[in-house]
Amino acid sequence: MALPAKDFVIEPAFNAKFRQGKAQDIITEVLKTKLTNVTYHPDNTSTWTREIADDIKGKLKEMGLERYKFVVQVVIGEQRGEGVKMGCRCFWDPNTDNYATAEFSNESIFCVAAAYGVYLY
Amino acid sequence: PNLALQRGNWCSPAIPRSQQNTMEDLQTSEEAAFVAEDINNIIKESIDSILLNATYSQQKVAQWTAQIVESCIKRTTALNKPFKYVATCVILQKNGAGLHTASSCYWDNATDGSRTVRWENKTMYCVTTVFGLAF
Repeated sequence: MALPAKDFVIEPAFNAKFRQGKAQDIITEVLKTKLTNVTYHPDNTSTWTREIADDIKGKLKEMGLERYKFVVQVVIGEQRGEGVKMGCRCFWDPNTDNYATAEFSNESIFCVAAAYGVYLY
Repeated sequence: PNLALQRGNWCSPAIPRSQQNTMEDLQTSEEAAFVAEDINNIIKESIDSILLNATYSQQKVAQWTAQIVESCIKRTTALNKPFKYVATCVILQKNGAGLHTASSCYWDNATDGSRTVRWENKTMYCVTTVFGLAF
């Protein structure tokens, strides 16, 4: 009985993996389109963060990576000279999973976006 | 020939079938769902153990974020569940500035989840998130 080889794939093909460079380009572009020439305002900044996160997630879905789950995190803060540090640790399979980050800043805001792609076996 | 005597039991599993935890059992049992309350306590303890009574310091903040996320990952993986975890931590100096965070996730709502904990002391804010993704 010949079974199709597709049923026993346990990892994505090398060209169907979450590529860090491509995802980083996507994120930088979204940040540039949404945040150039904006000024910080407490009312609409939270809407911006949500919109940017949903935008990035939508574009990652369009990359066409099947069986990948995505987590996108966006942080926008007011620029007042304060110090800030963002770190992350992940417990996953480095063969299939990866992440991409991008930053954007102008005189009134700074923004950090991180997208994680996790493979579903 | 007596067929009953010839039927051997050479393939019996070491653990009886009734006690084996098959893949279907794992996914339908409670173990496979993301339990937010356990994660909440884990994150709080991780932050408290490192930032309690600390003052914001430019040199130490990189070390703190690394320690907090490492501690979160260590404790969540100790729960021994079939999950992949992503932990992020943002430490912000108190300056009167505003900060907004948002996350958007494309996952399986039944099994995956996340938890965010906001913590502060006199000199800084710390926002830590742990995402759990089932596989």
